Amino acid sequence: MSEKNERQLRIVGFLCNWCSYGGADTAGVCRFKQPPLLRIIRIPCTGRMDPLFVVKALAQGADGVLVSGCHPKDCHYAVGNFYARRRLELVKRFLPFVGLDPRRFHYTWVSASEGQRWQEVVTEFSAVIQELGPNPGIGADTPMETAGQAASAFA
Amino acid sequence: MDTLHAHLEALFDDLELVIGWETGYEPLRPTPAFLRSREDLSRLVWNPLCAPNLSVYLPGILKDAKETGKKIGVCLKGCDSRSLGALVQEGFVERERLYVVGLPCPGTVDPEALAEARKSSAPVTHVSFRDGLLAITSRDGTEEIELERVLARRCRRCRHPNPLHADVILGDPVPPRRTEPSFSDVDAVEAMSLEERRAYWEEELSRCLRCYACRNACPLCVCRDRCLAESRTPKWTTQRDGVRDKFLFHMIHALHLAGRCTECGECERVCPVGIPVALFKEKMARIALELWDYQAGTDPAATPPLQTFDPSETGI
Ligand code: SF4
Ligand code: SF4
Repeated sequence: MSEKNERQLRIVGFLCNWCSYGGADTAGVCRFKQPPLLRIIRIPCTGRMDPLFVVKALAQGADGVLVSGCHPKDCHYAVGNFYARRRLELVKRFLPFVGLDPRRFHYTWVSASEGQRWQEVVTEFSAVIQELGPNPGIGADTPMETAGQAASAFA
Repeated sequence: MDTLHAHLEALFDDLELVIGWETGYEPLRPTPAFLRSREDLSRLVWNPLCAPNLSVYLPGILKDAKETGKKIGVCLKGCDSRSLGALVQEGFVERERLYVVGLPCPGTVDPEALAEARKSSAPVTHVSFRDGLLAITSRDGTEEIELERVLARRCRRCRHPNPLHADVILGDPVPPRRTEPSFSDVDAVEAMSLEERRAYWEEELSRCLRCYACRNACPLCVCRDRCLAESRTPKWTTQRDGVRDKFLFHMIHALHLAGRCTECGECERVCPVGIPVALFKEKMARIALELWDYQAGTDPAATPPLQTFDPSETGI
């Protein structure tokens, strides 16, 4: 962030309410230092993850997308993350075909007690994104939807 | 041809309706035909120009059909029959309400390739097909053109020319052009660098009119007028005409077809501006094959991979 008008890099994080959101909280409570790129969206379960969330975020120029939920076999709803990991793996393999860098998408599992692990996940992924720099997205000439417009769509 | 007419003629009393193809505004473009009376049967045609996949009509027709105890007859090529299989798998079609006439398919014609291969450009008055040769008649006389020269892209990679899930197969089995799944066109896109691929799709998709013909022709796009692409809440795409919104529409189609698409190629065939949109879905089909050894529509009892899970899966 040295130059003034350099766009700040942004990672969108989709975190499951029961595990990874707690894990991120634990990391915060323990005052583990983390890079400031991540913006968190809390989801009820990784089973809520529509692969389109990933594609739309990256197409619109989000620099990275991180999805994290309960470890397999530990899902609050028993099987949500089993469905999720099939969808997430599929979209991960699909991204490069449409010209989106698959390195900008990462999915993993972090439990509520793993504050340390959360710190590592965020730090490592942020380093990857910093290395990659800004994401051109798709159709960069299209004006950005403002956060308000995007959010109102789901209201 | 004659067998098809004779066969349906003999059965007609037990059928509510027969869905097949008839000559459209010109013999080069057969259109779907919905035949309700015995006399109408004479309008049926069957040749390599009968491209439309008629399974697209089945969910709607079965929903609206009165329960008369009579079946709905439908003509399906090899690829069309896989679409039927996928619809049965997902519970959109009750197989027992259909009488499926399977037609072993020599391949379908790419109309643009045919126009290029023809010497005459006069309007076509008659088409016939025998032994791999299309005989195209116009006022300039009759030209013979090898089907193999004017084949649609989807047919070059076809593994299922012989229909699955049929009640009767009319005609001799056709040797498949491919015995293994072939993804050479996907490979060609993947041979580009990431930046080239992005530019390639931006360029191709910039032509998209968002006419949604690709969606409407897709037998597995079952939401019809409740499509996410036109929904305002949630609003996945805007009314802007930039590439990004076109791209997002295609991502909706591709992702909603993940682990479901049977690679019938209809989406690409109907595109008025020639965008190879089936490639997105071919890539999806390849991923489903790699990850779950799954081929949509081949086994009516199978559960589509994204509608189930396997706790023992590792590595992903
Ligand atoms: S997405 Fe295209 S190829 Fe796949 S089932 Fe639909 S129309 Fe056929
Ligand atoms: S048929 Fe072609 S132009 Fe129409 S929406 Fe589909 S890709 Fe776009």
